[in-house]
Amino acid sequence: MTELRSIFTDEFINLLTKISKEGIENASKGFSGMLGKELTVKSSSAKLIKLLDISKMLGGPEDETVAIYLKTEGSIAGQMMLVMPCEKAFGLVDMIMGEPIGTTTTLGTMEKSALQELGNITGTYFLNYVSDNTGRSVRPTPPAVMVDMCAAILDIVIATAGIENEEVLMFDAEFVQGELSTEIQFWVIPDPKTILAYGAK
Amino acid sequence: METSVGVGLGEIAVSQNRDEILVAFGLGSCVGIGAYDPVKGIAGLLHAVLPEPLNGSDLTSTKYVGNGINKLFDEMLKKGAVRDRLIIRMAGGANMLTSPGLSKTFDIGTRNIAVAQSVLETQKMKIVSQNVGGNIGRTFRVYVADGKMTIRMIGEKETVF
Repeated sequence: MTELRSIFTDEFINLLTKISKEGIENASKGFSGMLGKELTVKSSSAKLIKLLDISKMLGGPEDETVAIYLKTEGSIAGQMMLVMPCEKAFGLVDMIMGEPIGTTTTLGTMEKSALQELGNITGTYFLNYVSDNTGRSVRPTPPAVMVDMCAAILDIVIATAGIENEEVLMFDAEFVQGELSTEIQFWVIPDPKTILAYGAK
Repeated sequence: METSVGVGLGEIAVSQNRDEILVAFGLGSCVGIGAYDPVKGIAGLLHAVLPEPLNGSDLTSTKYVGNGINKLFDEMLKKGAVRDRLIIRMAGGANMLTSPGLSKTFDIGTRNIAVAQSVLETQKMKIVSQNVGGNIGRTFRVYVADGKMTIRMIGEKETVF
């Protein structure tokens, strides 16, 4: 069983914080570029959280939620997820498609495809930063878009990160777009083995 | 007055209070195992997360299906329930990721179901009904008053199963 906490020196935390902050800013550029609207990174942080507490990071467990999920492949393994309430996703689709806000009311194949592309670009911009700054090759898998109860979606992260760990390292950020009043969560959860490999250096 | 008792990830709730409803909200790949002794009116609900522990993991944690089932029965029996009378129902175990290339890697839901069925079969405990698999989340409720168990999926009504 990996012990993430054991390698968390001040120096390592500073490095992770730098990667998360700058990588997430880069990701927001990709996001903004696709929307054609300016996006603000309201906050970002790197934190170690208890696995079973992940479900408490968002709203109600039965709230209808949309997630765009990507896995990373290459020498740095991990998971990325954009998570937002359903109405927020409708607004994003309207922006991507150039429609007035309020036009989209359901997520069909075309709308999901637009969200997949948004996830793809955001994830790729994040990973490009990480790759450029670590010299490691890393790329995203094709994104999956899910619409379901919040808790059910979070099971994916909990189950995959939790097989070997009681805690996970998470970079999280809130993107804010002026026309949309609520925030979008952007989560990056590096594979603990990758983090341990870097932390040991 | 009815009161909902949330059963979080890796948790177990056992109750004999007829006003209580045990609830595991939004089961995705997790599985919920509900059990009820109709004579004693004792109900229990497990919210298990993962199929089985790896070497070095906390072997006793109820977040694992097998440990969770054993602990659920232990706690119900301690309160006076009788094993042979337990009515057992199971829900959850969805594969939330349907994207090609991702779904196989992450199909923990299917493994959770398989382990639960195997553990119960080994103990000669029959699953009376189940609502499992697919790729949709479910909320699982156990009504202590009469042992009724229900599921609800997003955009749908609560149904008895």
